[in-house]
Amino acid sequence: MGDSPLTNWTDYLITDSPSSRRQARLGQFYRQWLAFKRNRLAMLGLGIVVALLLVAAFAPLIATADPLAQNLDKRLLPPSLVNFFGTDSLGRDIFSRIVFGTRVTLVIVILVVITVGPVGLLIGAASGYLGGWVDRLLMRITDVFLAFPRLVLALAFVAALGPGLENAVIAIAITAWPPYARVARAETLIIRQQDYIAAVRLQGASQWRIVWKHVVPMCLPSLIVRTTLDMAGIILTAAGLGFLGLGAQPPIPEWGAMISAGREQIFDQWWVATFPGLAICIVALGFNLLGDGLRDVMDAR
Amino acid sequence: MTTQPAITLDRLNVSFGDSHVVKDLSFEVRPGESYGIVGESGSGKSTVLRVLAGLNRDWSGDVAILGQPQPKIRNKAFHRAVQMVFQDPYGSLHPKKTVDDALAEPLMIHGIRDAEGRIGRAMADVGLPASFRFRYPHQLSGGQRQRVAIARALVLEPTILLLDEPTSALDVSIQAEVLNLLQTLRHERKLTYILVSHDLAVVAHMCERLLVMQFGRGVEEMTAATLAARSPKTAYAQQLLTASEGFRRKAG
Amino acid sequence: MRAPDTPTEQPLLELDNLRVNFHTATGIVRAVRGLSFTLGRERLGIVGESGSGKSMTGRAILDLIPHPGEVLADRMVYRGQDLLTMDKRTRRKLRGRHISMVMQDPKFSLNPVQTVGEQIAEAYRVHHKASAREAKQRSLAMLEQVQIREPGRVYELYPHEVSGGMGQRVMIAMMLIAEPDILIADEPTSALDVTVQLQILKILDDLVTQRGMGLIFISHDLHLVQSFCDRVIVMYGGKAMETLPAAELADETARSRRHPYTLGLLGCLPDLDHPKAKLATLTRDPAWLA
Repeated sequence: MGDSPLTNWTDYLITDSPSSRRQARLGQFYRQWLAFKRNRLAMLGLGIVVALLLVAAFAPLIATADPLAQNLDKRLLPPSLVNFFGTDSLGRDIFSRIVFGTRVTLVIVILVVITVGPVGLLIGAASGYLGGWVDRLLMRITDVFLAFPRLVLALAFVAALGPGLENAVIAIAITAWPPYARVARAETLIIRQQDYIAAVRLQGASQWRIVWKHVVPMCLPSLIVRTTLDMAGIILTAAGLGFLGLGAQPPIPEWGAMISAGREQIFDQWWVATFPGLAICIVALGFNLLGDGLRDVMDAR
Repeated sequence: MTTQPAITLDRLNVSFGDSHVVKDLSFEVRPGESYGIVGESGSGKSTVLRVLAGLNRDWSGDVAILGQPQPKIRNKAFHRAVQMVFQDPYGSLHPKKTVDDALAEPLMIHGIRDAEGRIGRAMADVGLPASFRFRYPHQLSGGQRQRVAIARALVLEPTILLLDEPTSALDVSIQAEVLNLLQTLRHERKLTYILVSHDLAVVAHMCERLLVMQFGRGVEEMTAATLAARSPKTAYAQQLLTASEGFRRKAG
Repeated sequence: MRAPDTPTEQPLLELDNLRVNFHTATGIVRAVRGLSFTLGRERLGIVGESGSGKSMTGRAILDLIPHPGEVLADRMVYRGQDLLTMDKRTRRKLRGRHISMVMQDPKFSLNPVQTVGEQIAEAYRVHHKASAREAKQRSLAMLEQVQIREPGRVYELYPHEVSGGMGQRVMIAMMLIAEPDILIADEPTSALDVTVQLQILKILDDLVTQRGMGLIFISHDLHLVQSFCDRVIVMYGGKAMETLPAAELADETARSRRHPYTLGLLGCLPDLDHPKAKLATLTRDPAWLA
């Protein structure tokens, strides 16, 4: 044909009459990507999140030192060309600890996402669509969880389960799903009134099929957006638990715990607490910008 | 012995909480007939259709389809015999499903093989080009969406089609195309229609007989010819007819 | 009593070569492409299908075209005042006070947390220096004028407590309390039942005949426009296909003078008096937009 493969791909994606299911889905996705790309702040957010992923993946290559290696001769050194972000009270390289800390952050984020999203979505969608006593029961349970401030509830769970990264994640997940269920339920209540749901009911679809194949896909975008926006909060809660010594245990390089360790030196050796704090800020901001951008693209129906 | 009616409605009552929206409504539709229901908003005309479709369960009375008394929760045989086309083509198609998804879903639910062939035929029958098969609703115009909705209703090969203001959201030129399509399909497939509309001219064009409803009651049943001759018996039907003729300045 | 057709009098609105363009990522969408008309103290109908630019025309006159749209015209004059060179503030003052608009669905145009009466009174006080009491008096009088039986009761209602027809009357009252010279009604009765529709039209009709207001009546309904308006502009694809006296729409003898698009629109309507097995469909000629 003589066309470059790139234009062929673009044509394949943006055609008005795709010839297969997959092409239609990819095309839809590509159009959303084009819209997303126009939003500079969202692209910045995406950049930060991608950078987080890359740093986590290549942590051993990026880090300049062993994050756990203590060297009491080099305690509390200011930032320099050897230790970019200085060293902490045990002489560990803060830069390397932050780099490895991305892995901890990612573990928290991923574990929370795979538990909270689906649980909240299914409970909310089922509650909203089925109504009646199912709705009342599920929503009262949700209310119980919503009645406590998230960090306090998480603290209680960690206290009961014992400190540690896994337990922190479980505690965060347990406390994070109720708002998702609420949102999904509210959306479902609107969706179930729509004619396209009446149409599948009229085709004789089972309730389970309607919820799973027709209601859930409509709730999904706002849920993804909410998860991304919430990510900042989740990271901060994790950091908060870490700061209180209830999250990841030493010597794991968790950002919140690092700030906590640096608080004694905050006036004399500012870098110990500042750099992990900045890392938390930047990552939280990244997820927030990404979520905002996703909302603009995905909620446009 | 006459043939069995396609639809029989006997003393239908529908209430939502305190409001009694359909009151003691009875009518019969013969197989192959096209029956219109007209009325203003709040007359209960759409509610009747939703009861017939099994979408509304707060009713009492007797509903029989093709001679079978219908319970509140319908069975699969009912869904294969009765389908519906909704008013708003922007609301009746799932925004995240392609035309193909929409047409494949009923076939999947009823375990019908030969989905490929049936989807292709259904699209051809309603005049949709095959290249539209993997489009999303947002890539279709209002008229095209309504064709998809009709194809979706027909893909199970029902004998009764319930039409809820199928063209009131469309431009007049598109309305003409959709009405023509519905006429052709009805004659080719010997379908029975119930058409709910606020537009007397559309009902007169599409139906042999019609029922005028007001405040949940059947006011008058008449033939399309009676309507065209401007000779309804009741005052309300007459008033509706006059109002539909357009604005009149009182002389003097 | 008909609105006097007085060509000697200065027209209320003169529009020459109006264009509305939207600059989008995929190029320029031309919603209105060169529309010209003058409006006197009359009922001027604009009919067309969706996408014909009829609503955009109404919005362009009021300077209500949303971003990224732009309004261009060779001339846009309201009673001798050039709307194009007018500064934004003066233009805004003109809107509501002298040129008003009624939209299709009152539900979306009324503030849900204020009673309808308060909203009407506020609309009055925006344009007139008046005490709260006086504004309320005017509002009650206005509600009465739009045929609301118990103005005192309706004054205290919230928008969700009124029916569609009542809501539309409230909207009209709100738009008319400032006593505008021009009312742009964009499908004002499309969401209403036929009987209610006629009552609303009666109110609009009285305003034109008794107060000498100019009315631009935007609608997709040919029958309605034909029976209600004095003159009709038939729009398609952002252009006026033709402008004609409304009476001629129904006039069989004038068929030969009609634009094919107008005839097409008329032909595809089902008609009680002329039943036909198949409705005519419209074939659109690209040359119409050339």
